[in-house]
Amino acid sequence: MDFRKTEEQELLLESLRELITREFSEEYFKECDEKHQYPEKFMKALVDNGFGLLGIPEEYGGTPVDTLTLILVSEEIARLGAPGYLFGSVLQIDDMLTFGSEEQKKITMELTKQGKIAFCLGITEPQAGSDTNAISTTFTRKNGKVYINGHKTFITGAMSAPYMLCMTRDFSVSDLSRAFTMWWVPMDAPGVRIEPLHKIGWFMQNTCEVYLDNVEIEEKDIVGREGYGFIQLMKNFEVERLLMAAIALGQAECAFEDAARYANQRVQFGKPIGTFQLIQEKLTYMAIKIENMRNMVYKCAWEKDNGISLQVSSALAKLYCAQASFEVIDDAMQIMGGIGYTTDHRISRLWRDNRINRIGGGTDQIMIHIAGRGILKQYR
Amino acid sequence: MVINNIAENTKKLGAKQTRGETRMNIIACYKIVPDEKDIQVRSDRSISIDKAEWVIGQYDLNAVEAAMQIYEAVGGKVTALSVGDRQLENSKLKKGVLSRGPQELFLVIDEALSGADTNLTARALAAAARKIGFDLIICGEGSQDLYSQQVGIQLGQILNVPTLNAVSRIVAENGKLIVERSLEDEVEVLEVSLPAVISVTTDINQPRIASMKDILAAGKKPVTQWSLADVGLNDANRRTEILYTLAPEQAERKRIILEGESEEVLDKFYELLRKAI
Ligand SMILES: Cc1cc2nc3c(=O)[nH]c(=O)nc-3n(C[C@H](O)[C@H](O)[C@H](O)COP(=O)(O)OP(=O)(O)OC[C@H]3O[C@@H](n4cnc5c(N)ncnc54)[C@H](O)[C@@H]3O)c2cc1C
Repeated sequence: MDFRKTEEQELLLESLRELITREFSEEYFKECDEKHQYPEKFMKALVDNGFGLLGIPEEYGGTPVDTLTLILVSEEIARLGAPGYLFGSVLQIDDMLTFGSEEQKKITMELTKQGKIAFCLGITEPQAGSDTNAISTTFTRKNGKVYINGHKTFITGAMSAPYMLCMTRDFSVSDLSRAFTMWWVPMDAPGVRIEPLHKIGWFMQNTCEVYLDNVEIEEKDIVGREGYGFIQLMKNFEVERLLMAAIALGQAECAFEDAARYANQRVQFGKPIGTFQLIQEKLTYMAIKIENMRNMVYKCAWEKDNGISLQVSSALAKLYCAQASFEVIDDAMQIMGGIGYTTDHRISRLWRDNRINRIGGGTDQIMIHIAGRGILKQYR
Repeated sequence: MVINNIAENTKKLGAKQTRGETRMNIIACYKIVPDEKDIQVRSDRSISIDKAEWVIGQYDLNAVEAAMQIYEAVGGKVTALSVGDRQLENSKLKKGVLSRGPQELFLVIDEALSGADTNLTARALAAAARKIGFDLIICGEGSQDLYSQQVGIQLGQILNVPTLNAVSRIVAENGKLIVERSLEDEVEVLEVSLPAVISVTTDINQPRIASMKDILAAGKKPVTQWSLADVGLNDANRRTEILYTLAPEQAERKRIILEGESEEVLDKFYELLRKAI
C-alpha cells in the first residue's frame, strides 16, 4: 500500500499554501466572518490560480483531476483556516456543465471565473428536509410560459446568487424517480421573495428562505431533462459527501495544530500545559481521530478513482468525519481555555462552522440510514 | 556599457512595452536549499540538515518570475539553471521550478559541487551558461541558506558582461534593458546593454503560483543534466572553505514582567534589554 502523494499533488498543495499564507491572513477571514461577507477576493484568487476550476473540464478553462486530488485540495483549504465550505460548490458547477443549456453554462462560467457564485441549490422545503420526496414546489405551463410556485428553505447563497437551481415536483407522475424537474430561476424575477435566516455559523455565506409566487420563466429555463432532476444530481452525489468530509477533516486539523502549538506555549502552574497528561490524552485522541478521518476520506477517494462503489463507504466517511471533526475542534477549544471561546481566536469560528456538517448534505441519521441498509444488503 | 541617464530613462520606464520587439534568451539561476523549518540545531550549536526537505530558494523564485515577465513582454525563451550535487536530481524539485514557467531546465550535477563556495558556483554557472547561450542571466538577491549575495556578481565578472545587483525593476526595450536599482536613498535608473547578468531584489515581483496545469506541463518539459566535465570545468578547487557554522547561543526565556509606564520602568526595561543583547 502506498500512502505517498504524487509529486504533482505535493506541488499543488505547496502552491495552495503559498497562495493562502501569502495573500490571505487570518485577519481577512475573521473580518469577512464578522461582517457576514462573502470572501470574493479569496474565491477569485482560487479561480485565478487554477484551484477554483479543478475538476472542471478543460474546454471550460478548468483542469480535470482525480477525486483524491480534489479532496486533498479541499482538506488543505480548510486546514489553513480558510472557508473550505465555499469550495464545496465546485461539483455543482460540474453538474451544470454536464446538464445545463449553453446559456446556463455560459452564465455559470462567467460568474465562476470572477469568483462569484452563479446559482444556489434549491431543494429543501419546510416539509421536505431529509425527506426530499416530500418536495411540493410545482411548475405549471400556461400560454407558452412556465410558472413556479412553492417555498424553499435553507437555501445557501440565495441572496447573492443571480439564479437558483429549483427542484420541482410533477404530481401527475406517480413514479417518484421521474417526478422531479430542475429549473433555472432568476432570483430577481417578479414573485421571488428572499428572507435571510440567522445562523450560528457559515457567516461568509447567507442561507435563506425563498418564496416563489407564480414566478414566470421560459421553457428554455429547464435544466437538463424533464423528470430527471434528482438523477442528474446523482453524478457527483457521493463525491460531494466526500468533499464535505474532507473539509470537516481540514477544519479539525486546523484546530488540532493550533491547540498543539498552544499547549507548548501556555504556562500554568509553572509548566507548559502540554506537560499535563490530561492535555496529552486529549491531543493523542485528537490525533487518532484525525488519522482515522484521513484514512477513510482518502480511501473513499481512491475507491471512486478506481471505479469501486462508495455508496456505503462515503456515508460512513461523512458520518464519522462530521462527528469526529467536531469532537476534535471541541477538544481544541478546551485546550485553548477561555481564549478558545472568544472571537479573537479562529477556534471559535471553526467550532461554529463545523457543526453544520452533521446536518447539511444529509444528517448523521440519514447517513446511518444509508450505510445501515447497505451493510445489511451485503450480508443478506 | 552602463549609461546613467536618470531623467531620460525614468520616462522610458513608464513607456508601455510592445510584444515581439527583440526576443531574449534568458537564463534564470536558482539554488535548492534545506527547508528552514526542518533545520535542527544540535547541542553543540552546529546545524543539522539531515532531516531537511529541499526546496527552491525563495529569493531565486523572484529571479525566475522576473525572467518570465520579460519573456512574456518581448518573447524568446526562459531557461532555468542550477548547479550542485545529487540533491538536484529530485524530480519534484525539477517539476517545481519548471512549473513556474521556464521552458527548459539545465542542471550541472557533480559531487565536486557539494557545498561549493560562491566562486566555484559562479564558475560552474558561467561554464554552463556559455554552453547554453544567453542574452540575459537573472539571479536572486542571494541564496536563501547562505545569503552571501556573491554569485551573481562573480558570474558577471567571469563572463565579462555588464553586471548589476539590487535591481528592483526591469523593462526590456529594443534589445536593451532599462533597470531600476533601489539604493539607500535614491533610485538609480540605468540602461544596460546585453548580454548582462542581473541580480534582482525580493520586492521586484511576486512569484506566480503554479496551477495544476502548470505542474502537469512541467513534467513534460526538457531537462538536460551535465557533469562539470560536460561543461568543460576541470578545475573544481575552492577559494574559500567554511570551517563551521554555529547557531547563536540559546538563552532561556527570562520571563521578567515590568508593570507601569514611568521613566523608571522604562529605564529598567532598557537596562535589561541592553544586558541581554
Ligand atoms: C446552513 C445550512 C445550509 C443549507 N444549505 C442548503 C442549500 O443550499 N440547499 C438546500 O436545498 N438545502 C440546504 N440545507 C438544508 C439541509 O440539507 C437540511 O437541513 C437537511 O437535509 C436536514 O433537513 P431538515 O433540516 O429539514 O431536518 P429533518 O429532516 O426535519 O430532520 C430532523 C431530525 O430528524 C432526523 N431524521 C429525519 N428523518 C429521519 C429518519 N428517517 N430516521 C431517523 N432520523 C431522521 C434527522 O436526522 C434530524 O436529526 C442547508 C441547511 C443548513 C443548516
